[in-house]
Amino acid sequence: MRRLLVQLRAVVVKEARQTVRDRRMLFMLLVAPVFQLVMLGYAVNLDVDHVPTVVVDQDRTPTSREHLRGLLADGTLEETARADGVAEANRLLDAGEASVAVVIPRGFTRDLARGEPAPVQVLLDGSDPNRSNIAGAAASQYFQGAALDVVRGRLERLSAAMGRRVSFGTIDARPRIFYNPRLDSAIFMVPGVAVLVLILATTVVTAMGIAREREVGTLEQVLVTPISPGVLMAGKALPFVAVGLIDVTTALTVSAWVFDLPIRGSLAFLGVATLFYLMTTLGVGLFISTVSETQQQAFMGGVFFILPAILLSGIFTPISSMPAWMRALTWLNPVRYYIEILRAVLLKAAGPADLALQTGALFAYGLAIIGLASLRFRKRLR
Amino acid sequence: MTPAIRVEHLTRRFGAFTAVRDVSFHVEKGEIFGYLGANGAGKSTTIRMLCGLLAPSEGDAVVAGHRVSREPEAIKWRIGYMSQKFSLYRDLGARENLEFYGGAYGLGGRRLRRRIAEVVELTDLAEVRDVPTGELPGGIRQRVALANAILHEPEIVFLDEPTAGVDPVSRRAFWRLIRHMAEAGTTVFVTTHYMDEAEYCARIGLMVAGRLAALDTPAALKRRHAPGTTWHVEAPAILRHLAALRRLPGVVEATAFGRGAHVRVAEGAPTGEAELRAALAAAGVPPTLVEPVAPTLEDVFLAVASADEQAAGTAAAWEDPA
Repeated sequence: MRRLLVQLRAVVVKEARQTVRDRRMLFMLLVAPVFQLVMLGYAVNLDVDHVPTVVVDQDRTPTSREHLRGLLADGTLEETARADGVAEANRLLDAGEASVAVVIPRGFTRDLARGEPAPVQVLLDGSDPNRSNIAGAAASQYFQGAALDVVRGRLERLSAAMGRRVSFGTIDARPRIFYNPRLDSAIFMVPGVAVLVLILATTVVTAMGIAREREVGTLEQVLVTPISPGVLMAGKALPFVAVGLIDVTTALTVSAWVFDLPIRGSLAFLGVATLFYLMTTLGVGLFISTVSETQQQAFMGGVFFILPAILLSGIFTPISSMPAWMRALTWLNPVRYYIEILRAVLLKAAGPADLALQTGALFAYGLAIIGLASLRFRKRLR
Repeated sequence: MTPAIRVEHLTRRFGAFTAVRDVSFHVEKGEIFGYLGANGAGKSTTIRMLCGLLAPSEGDAVVAGHRVSREPEAIKWRIGYMSQKFSLYRDLGARENLEFYGGAYGLGGRRLRRRIAEVVELTDLAEVRDVPTGELPGGIRQRVALANAILHEPEIVFLDEPTAGVDPVSRRAFWRLIRHMAEAGTTVFVTTHYMDEAEYCARIGLMVAGRLAALDTPAALKRRHAPGTTWHVEAPAILRHLAALRRLPGVVEATAFGRGAHVRVAEGAPTGEAELRAALAAAGVPPTLVEPVAPTLEDVFLAVASADEQAAGTAAAWEDPA
């Protein structure tokens, strides 16, 4: 046992020395993640506003102008062009200069005044479904409200004419939003980006570590020592656990500062969960490095793991909207558990009791994959 | 006394290629055993099998009391290994490398510090122990690798081409260390393709194309494989006239050697200095020097290799170390 600790310490010290001495590596591990976090945090913004809109006002009356002002008031749609006819509006949509066209036809005010249906046309560029959904919803919402106002005004005039109050009840649904009341998508996305940056820094670096030793020939000298694969793997992973913890701490600090990310739950619990998560990402890296002959193969292996792990994690797309078989696959994905933990702890102040499944799964996966890597690691050459 | 290494019908194949074919020998405790052969003759493959790095395809070996086929890890505690290519960490200094490898062999604390001080002193590395090994010249780097191989006081040290590419002065110093280790009781298994170094070995195994073609003390090898008289001959463009020398009665061998050629003549044959001079004069190149010399291990190697070539019909590439 004492001997194992001596061996483990030797590997940890050696890995740490090599990492600290490698300026480029340190930059990749400690500085690049913060840059990536800030840049991606801004880039991965799902809030839709300032959708370029071409306005076609053929009615040209104070009423039509008033409605257009009202439609554009909340900033979701932004008037970027004005056209005289539908044909020209279509051309602007085709050219990509606008994503929405709003057409108020001639006679709009006249029809309203006569109490006849007054059609308004909204044309949407559907190539970005999320965006056109939101833009379409904004337009519908405004015109529904406007239609209700028209009816209400007419009822009031009717009441006055009849000399008694005529009223009608409507359903008034008002959603109240918890945890992220402003629906700020950065608060949802930034933990995801932190996870992404962490997996890049840990999995690929460890995957390439042993492969590099194999490639430059230093592994042969290690293989001739009586060190056991498990000790070697653990020793190679431990310094990067420290790196990962530093990365998460900086990521949270920077996110709290730059993106107003709330930190509501227990940091200690988050630390433990992060430790387990790092076991899985580092374990996968080590496993990849045991099956790779060259650094290039190890790098490709890392990418091969990271891409599906990110896409099936629920960071960018909700797991609930995936097909059933894909939802089943996400249970195998450690990233899924960690992002759930991270979001729940940060935004909802969830604790170990709420996240026992996720935390337990991460721990089990971490042990399993490091064990698998140790078993897979051969102390013989081929 | 049980031998330090006992090799029994060891064979290693890589696909269709047989790198080591049915090799058997043993090495006594405290012996310096030299393993000679051209590049690709199977020297490194043998060493890697004996160190537990490569599994044998057939046969087995007992190293420090353990079978390489079944207990390679038990062997690793008791041997030291210096590979042909410098394989310590180039971004770490000698001391840092020694600390890592000492730890890997379970050495820690005061004992590790004491051993590092000892090997640094023995291999004369005190001044450079903190310089990254990648920045050291080849000769010093080899000493670091040797210090590393003996750090944990192994019973047997395997040195694979330890002096390849090292200047003659460093080579001599290096061999002093090797002899010093053997005197202290360590068994040394060393491969080389420098024939002069092989003279330092108690016994020599000659590898040709994967087979152990000869095995004995240097003196016995010379008696058996280079009998008769060996003449050193120098003449202008002598390499173009070796065929003429080979046609003389009793000439067994005529090969390039240094600036001239070595010509070996069988016992009792009627070819002597006068005949050699006459033959070259007849060819238009009167020799500048003809003198009898003691056969070297290179003569032995050439004799064994050419005999083997004729027997097996294969050629081993002889690469000059320069």
